[in-house]
Amino acid sequence: MPCERKPMRYGHSEGHTEVCFDDSGKFIVTCGNDGDVRIWEGLDDDDPKFITVGEKAYSLALKNGKLVTASSNNTVQIHTFPDGDPDGILTRFTTNATHVVFNSSGSRVAAGSSDFMVKVVEVSDSSQQKTLRGHEAPVLSVTFDPKDDFLASASCDGSVVVWNIEEQSQLISWPVLQKTNDISNAKSLCRLAWQPGTAKFLAVPVETKVHLYERGSWDHVSTLSDDLQTQLINVVAWSPCGQFLAAGSVGGSLTVWDVNSKLCVERQKHEKGFTVCSLAWHPSGSQIVYTDTEGCLGLLDGLSTSTSNTNTTKAPAKKAAKDYDDLFDDDDDDRLMDEGLSETNSPVKKPITGDDDDDDDDFLMPATGRVRNRGAILDDENSLDTGSLKLGQDKFGDDDDTGSVVVPAAAPLVPMRPVYEGPMPTAPQKAFQPGSTPAHLTHRFMMWNSVGIVRGYNDEQDNAIDVEFHDTAVHHAMHLTNSLGHTMADLSQEAVLLACPSTDELASKLQCLHFSSWDTNKEWMVDLPEGEDVRALCLGQGWAAVATSALMLRLFSIGGIQREIFSLPGNVVCMVGHGEQLLIVYHRAPGFDGEQALGVQLLQFGRKKRQLINGEPLPLSLQSHLSWLGFTAEGTPCYVDSVGVVRMLNRSLGNTWTPVCNTRETCKSKSDHYWVVGIHENPQQLRCIPCKGSRYPPTLPRPAVAILPFKLPLCQTSTEKGQMEEQFWRSVLFHNHFSFLSSSGYEIDEDGQSQTQKEQQELLMKMFALSCKLEREFRCVELAELMTQNVVTLAIRYASRSRRMALAQRLSEIALEKANQIQEEEPEEQEEEPEYSGEESLRNVLMGYVQVLGSGKPSSSSGLPRVTNILDNMTSSRKSSPLSRSAGIPSKGPVLKPLAPRPKTKTQSTLLQMNGTKAASKKTPENTQPAADQQKQPEVPPPASPADNTENNRPKTGFQFWLEENRKSITADQPDLEETDIIKEAMGRFRTLSAEERLSWTERAKGQTGDAADLKKRKRAGGGAENDNGQVEADENSSKKKKSLDPSSKLSAFAFNKN
Amino acid sequence: MDSSEVEFLAEKEMVKIIPNFSLDRIYLIGGDLGPFNPGLPVDVPVWLALNLKQRQKCRIVPPAWMDVEKLEEMRELERKEDTFTPVPSPYYMELTKLLLNYASDNIPKADEIRTLVKDIWDTRIAKLRLSADSFISQLEAHAKLDNLTLMEINTIRAFLLDSLNCMYKLRSNLQPGSSKGQFTDY
Repeated sequence: MPCERKPMRYGHSEGHTEVCFDDSGKFIVTCGNDGDVRIWEGLDDDDPKFITVGEKAYSLALKNGKLVTASSNNTVQIHTFPDGDPDGILTRFTTNATHVVFNSSGSRVAAGSSDFMVKVVEVSDSSQQKTLRGHEAPVLSVTFDPKDDFLASASCDGSVVVWNIEEQSQLISWPVLQKTNDISNAKSLCRLAWQPGTAKFLAVPVETKVHLYERGSWDHVSTLSDDLQTQLINVVAWSPCGQFLAAGSVGGSLTVWDVNSKLCVERQKHEKGFTVCSLAWHPSGSQIVYTDTEGCLGLLDGLSTSTSNTNTTKAPAKKAAKDYDDLFDDDDDDRLMDEGLSETNSPVKKPITGDDDDDDDDFLMPATGRVRNRGAILDDENSLDTGSLKLGQDKFGDDDDTGSVVVPAAAPLVPMRPVYEGPMPTAPQKAFQPGSTPAHLTHRFMMWNSVGIVRGYNDEQDNAIDVEFHDTAVHHAMHLTNSLGHTMADLSQEAVLLACPSTDELASKLQCLHFSSWDTNKEWMVDLPEGEDVRALCLGQGWAAVATSALMLRLFSIGGIQREIFSLPGNVVCMVGHGEQLLIVYHRAPGFDGEQALGVQLLQFGRKKRQLINGEPLPLSLQSHLSWLGFTAEGTPCYVDSVGVVRMLNRSLGNTWTPVCNTRETCKSKSDHYWVVGIHENPQQLRCIPCKGSRYPPTLPRPAVAILPFKLPLCQTSTEKGQMEEQFWRSVLFHNHFSFLSSSGYEIDEDGQSQTQKEQQELLMKMFALSCKLEREFRCVELAELMTQNVVTLAIRYASRSRRMALAQRLSEIALEKANQIQEEEPEEQEEEPEYSGEESLRNVLMGYVQVLGSGKPSSSSGLPRVTNILDNMTSSRKSSPLSRSAGIPSKGPVLKPLAPRPKTKTQSTLLQMNGTKAASKKTPENTQPAADQQKQPEVPPPASPADNTENNRPKTGFQFWLEENRKSITADQPDLEETDIIKEAMGRFRTLSAEERLSWTERAKGQTGDAADLKKRKRAGGGAENDNGQVEADENSSKKKKSLDPSSKLSAFAFNKN
Repeated sequence: MDSSEVEFLAEKEMVKIIPNFSLDRIYLIGGDLGPFNPGLPVDVPVWLALNLKQRQKCRIVPPAWMDVEKLEEMRELERKEDTFTPVPSPYYMELTKLLLNYASDNIPKADEIRTLVKDIWDTRIAKLRLSADSFISQLEAHAKLDNLTLMEINTIRAFLLDSLNCMYKLRSNLQPGSSKGQFTDY
């Protein structure tokens, strides 16, 4: 019987513990020395509910929603389950009770005590008690006959006694145990167990063996033993089907026998060898939980108790239509047992201790395959709780005793049904608010985002909501009483949005505290139609969105006007807003094998409403669910899954999702997690809260935010090459928001943008140098293709300096190509795209970059055209956002800057703030075009094609200036040349110039273009650029002075040091 | 040196705060600070942290060692060892005093921490006195004490030096042939 031993986890403080499953098998319930009963939703549940029952809890039993515990105040008490409300005291002893059990129907409780007595009490009426006297020492354990006639008990006096409950008399007594004077001295707890269903056997752990006594005759009919079992057996438990018996020993070994064949089918060892003091089977028979005396909880998973041997398959017709209970039908099982005992040649008998595992593997393979899947489902502890698991239950009818919440595990128990062998559907994850902790907590975060924190308190004294802002300049902290029972919240710079689910009397409500409103009404409330519940909500700038259980999305203005409404394709999972963008994630279809099938929609409101992503699948890691969804501060959608992978939308690659970080890689321990609260692209920051041993933080002590770096999962990031590649592509990815922001009309951080571009080109150059060193010339060329044209010229210099002429040759071809490309694109760009394009800015910036590299002095001319540029396009793509203005956003921090729309350029006052040149060029619209034209031109490279020179009203390139100066000398040398030949010749000569000379020419040309007004004048003069020659010469002199630099210093920046 | 001067030096230590305002990087003689983003921890000198705290502009995140468990461990070690054990911060006493006086609401279990640090301090000062005592009584010429903080040295310096001076004079008077003129010093 192959099974998986899950790692132990801490459950209670040191001391005796007990464990059981609830009737449905959904919860594991434990009690321990700390007096708490904990209710675990699975072994990985980091936040079990607990019920405090006393100072110490000695034993517990659970049935029909009643939790019976033996606690240190000598009582046996009842609590309701799972609520944990005290439900009275069942009985009292003169000292503490040692063991409590329910009978099979749950109507009676038997309790053994250290005062030598055993009591049997009716649960419904605790006055009806029967006391069984006769033991001469503390009672170790008790067990009910499943048919309710008898009761067996073991005691420290060494006897195991069977009682007739009605007559309160001893029926038989076996002196099989060692005598001791107290439980604490007893070597074994001697937990007895009566076979469920048929009640045929009573299992008694006697030293290292288990004796089976037959009901009725009370004969010792067989003994279960295992050669490898050398330790005293402490506790035994029957599988729910009655075919298997599990035993836990003092030394920590766990053994499972098949009772029919009396063979050991499973052996496991406690990982630390502590004493196993309690053992319970899952109602489906697929798991065993156990606890030890150190308070740890363990689980054996994937046990297949499918009765897949010949015995059960013989009666398929009989069972097929019947319920699970029929399995325990008398005749059936008797026969089954008989066969097990008499047919010594039955196939199950044949395995021998050594290779039985292999045999089991063979015939259990299909079953275990499915069981593993189910294990994976259980692993998804937090969000896949109650609601999700109901699915399985419904499928198998209402019979609680089947108990199997988990479809695959139950399947083997009902082998005759037509078994579905394919992948099992995953329970869909429930809707949640990103940045909130689970709703069942009494103190929880309802929202933690970049604006502030909303905390919810829901305990006896207080039901309240605290709103706190990170930046107290936004608003002061608020404290609200939560009389409506809000469970969802969102927070923005403008408002707090709260919603509660509907109750029997009241409809689901949406409440908005619009604190930034300038009138006196700061609050509004909306009732949803009957039968519609709020599932998710979010706030954007000037709007609020609510997704409801009726698959509806309702938009409201922030002031409370109802706006658009549309239907969602599936149940919403979560939703976030940012500025004018709304991101919705919903269930696309049922997922299978632990996967979630989620779809995503990205909508943009504002002037031009459109859907940017329409219902594409959301990629998640294998067998994970969504755990956080949000926008970066710059407005790029991103999300985190339960495995800890952060993914971000790559707008430049057709809206694909790129993994940018795996938070689990930085976790120290397996149970640690990072709870993400925000993402920033510039600077690159993943803001999250480290949670030790849990998935989410507690409200107290106040958690501190930590910052994680991003890392693209590229290959071989330990090598220098891999590192630089990772840096480069990360920089490219995190640079995308600039073009998005500028295209949607927001202010952008120009310094930051040029910084990242500079960084990218620097990285390319470093990679180039590295490839050069490694003699990878092809790779060099590939890298050069990624570079901008100016950096390529640098690369050419580098290549020629390191004597790679072939490489330099190829690079110069690329440079030429790039130059041509740029020039070809230009006219089209101007006509088609009035918007400010990213490439253009890149060129402008690079201009600055090359100069910085060369001289260390940023040129003033590179900044100026850019400003005009932005201004131009701001007018073209301006949108008015009166709502945001009325919101009266306080002065933004650097973080939120991108959100702040630029002041309208329409207003005259704004224009006047610009410098005179630009204002002038703006006023006459016909001038705008040439001005823009000139900005694009300055970077025309030295090897510009001659065609451009013949007829252009563009600004001069460096080459042109040079040509003008040197034309005479060329014509003097070769007077018979045609115009085009002169240019060719000149080009050849120009190329022979050193880089810095060429650069100085280029710079001079640029210096010219910077002065738009000047150029305009020149153009009006009818292309008489020569007229300005004098001025050019003057410029030239000054710029030449600037550029007296050692060429090696320029390249030294890229020098790659192999050591 | 005055203890207030030591405290002044201690105020240069860096401490994490969580600001509730937004401010770009600020450029000071001692170095650049910030940028300050609301809700995001940032390292600043204690003097600034306290100033901001007093104006309710931030929450102070106590240093890692300012934790009951760690301090208890340290106290036990300090009591067990005969020599001075390394302290968590060269200004542990000053920082504790400053932070607990001005930002006790941001530090969990402030009272326990105060007591624990005082315990450690007392133990160390007792050791210091003891070693000074044995230094004098054994008429040693020099001694070496490791892991002492500035504040601790400062508390004993004035007294120890003065008393050593006195003793030197007393002893030199006991020397045969010393002139009586030395008494004029008293």
